[in-house]
Order: sequence, then structure tokens, then C-alpha cells
Amino acid sequence: MKDERGPWYLITGFILGVGLGLLYSWVISPLEYVDTAPSSLRADFKDRYRVLIAEAYAANGDMNRAQARLALLADEDVNRALAIQAQQTMAEGNFPEEARALGLLAAALGRLPTAPFVMAVVSPTPYFTISPSTTPENTPTVTPSPVIKIVPTHTPTFTQLPELSLTPTQTATPKPSPTPTPTLGAPFVVKDKVVLCDPGLGAPLIQVWVEDVDGKPIPGVEIVIYWVEGEEHFFTGLKPEIGWGYADVLIQAGVDYTLQIASGGEPVSALVAQECTTAGGNRYWGSWNIVFAQP
Amino acid sequence: MTRRWLFFLLSILVGLVVGGIYGWIINPVEYVDTTPDTLRADYKADYVLMVAEIYQVEGDPALAARRLAVLGDAPPLTLIEQALRYGAEIGYSDMDLVKLSRLAKAVAFWTPEATAP
Repeated sequence: MKDERGPWYLITGFILGVGLGLLYSWVISPLEYVDTAPSSLRADFKDRYRVLIAEAYAANGDMNRAQARLALLADEDVNRALAIQAQQTMAEGNFPEEARALGLLAAALGRLPTAPFVMAVVSPTPYFTISPSTTPENTPTVTPSPVIKIVPTHTPTFTQLPELSLTPTQTATPKPSPTPTPTLGAPFVVKDKVVLCDPGLGAPLIQVWVEDVDGKPIPGVEIVIYWVEGEEHFFTGLKPEIGWGYADVLIQAGVDYTLQIASGGEPVSALVAQECTTAGGNRYWGSWNIVFAQP
Repeated sequence: MTRRWLFFLLSILVGLVVGGIYGWIINPVEYVDTTPDTLRADYKADYVLMVAEIYQVEGDPALAARRLAVLGDAPPLTLIEQALRYGAEIGYSDMDLVKLSRLAKAVAFWTPEATAP
């Protein structure tokens, strides 16, 4: 008797085999999560890893080691990742020491003339090997932006301002211990202090620029701002997209602030938000633009 | 009939091989969103070393143990001992091994089991 069922049984067997193969490779014995690299960590664990790197750097001051460790996370822009995380942590306000460590490392990296990843690979300090999967494909370069000109980029709509009797809502962030700052040389003097009427800023700010004797921006400089009810500390270099020597702080209208470089130097007092007016007669709060420089 | 069965089994075998190649090589399980406990031994050891470096300055074994807890369920002391062994094997500097040893000592004294009466 001739069998007329054809080759369909072969296709059935093949499909059955593929199914069993996938069952085995995906379910019964999948590739195990072992020997992974830090670059594959979940975002929140990467953040924890970054904080640990920054705190270790704050403890040992070993920049080569810090760079090699940061390279393991394979961030597209190491400095930016650090600066953003520092800003976020500072804004949350729960872990000021972590924010400070992140900020100091970002600032220290910003001062380097060469690309961090290149140094990380050749550094003899770290004990781990950077596997191909964790080696960044491109080599980002740090381009400090010394521009101190602020140009409004959009035209906001204006609303009539309330009376100048606002109550400050900022709270003090006391520091339990003095914060180390980079060696800066001569004390800073105020090179420029102007009211900046820029409606594009949205809210009144004190913008600070810190320059060295050659006019180059200095990141990582700690600045203290005082007012009647408290004080706040912030650092230059956490907004590298604006400039490595730049820092800013939001202020409340009607409050008198005094600002100073934490390491000493000339204080700037009587910093009160000034009223500005647009060509159309709308009022808004202006900002302060202060430039510190080494004589 | 026997021949048909032979070919049938053979086709299943080919399918198995194809499925295995696809699942393990062409489209394997991806390594994304992993947790620190899956890190390779050298990365884990360096993680512990970072904690030891910070402990040198902070001197807080509880905080160090909390940082190490990210590396999995193993007791902090076990993690430090593993890092010490690994460090000694691959040639950590004496200074780094001392840092790890100090952390191990501090965590050992801090651990509730060790301090319980």
C-alpha cells in the first residue's frame, strides 16, 4: 500500500523541535545573569554606583581610579551624568553629602584637559578589566564654555506681579562639617555685579561666575548665600552646558541676601530681587549677575 | 514506516538545534536592568573596595554594611572576605588590602551576631 500523506510529518517534527529548543533555551536553561558589567545595571543601581564612585573619590582623591570606575558605567557623557545627578540629589535635599561628592567629582573632571575615557583605559590603578561590552564606542571631549553672555531664547507671557511683600520659603541647609574646596590661590574679588533684566529666566536668580586670574572659568568652587533665616551652599560647574565656572540659586523677592565664596574673599551684600519692566510695561523680577575673579 | 519515524525524529532534532541556536546565540536573553549581585567578581571586589575607601574616612560600619547589602543576600563580612581573597589573588596593593581588612574587622564587630551576648 502506497503512503500518500507526503512530507508534512517532517515539518511537524521540525516545528515541534524548534518549540522544544526554544523552551529549553529560554525557559529551562536560559542564559544566566552572572558576571555582568556595571554598564548593564538598572538605572537606579547605576545611580547608586555613581554615588559610591564619587564618595570614594572624595575619600581617596584618586582621579585615575574614579575615571576608570566611571568608564564602567558607559555613560555617553560622564560629566553631564554626574552633574545632572548632583543637581537632582541637591534638589531632593535628602542626601546633601552625596550631592556634594557628585558635584566635586563632576567639577574635578571638568577641570581636566583631556578626555576621561582615554585616561581610564590606560590607567594602571584599577584592578578590574574593562570588557568590550563596557568600553564606550566614542570618546567624549570636555569643552568648557567660558561664555558669560545670557541671551533670552523665548518670549514668555507676562502677568502682573503681586506686591513686594513676599515671605521667603527657602529653608536653611546647615552643613555639619566644613566643605573642602579646590585650592584656588588668591582670594576672589567682585569683578562685576549687575541686575540682569532677562524675562527668559522665568524666576529671579543670582547667577555667579567664577574666573581665575586669566579669566578662565573655575568649576567646583563652593559658594555660600546667607539670608536672615538661613544659608545655602552651592557649587560652580554643575551646569556645564552654561559654563564650568557658573552657578545659580533661586531667590525670593523681598529678601535681602549676602553671597560669598566659601573659601573667603569679598562678600556681596544687599542682593534683593529688583523689579524690571518690559517694553510693553509688564513688570517681572530681575536677576543678579555677579562675576568673581582672582586679582 | 520505520523510515518515516526515523525522519520524524530527525526533523525534531534539527528543530531542537535551530531553536537552541536561536535562543542562545541569535536572540539570547538580554543583559539589561541587572542588579549588583550579578556583577562579575572583579567588579564586586572593586565595589567592596570603594566601600572600604569610604569607610576609611567615615568610620561608620553600619553605613558600610548598608552599602554592601546592595550586592546581595550574603552577609557583609562574607562579601568583604571574598573581596580580600580576590584582591590577594590578583595583586591588590597592600594599602588597599589593609583598607579591606579594616573594614572586615569593623563589620565583624558591628554585626549583631558577633556582638550579641
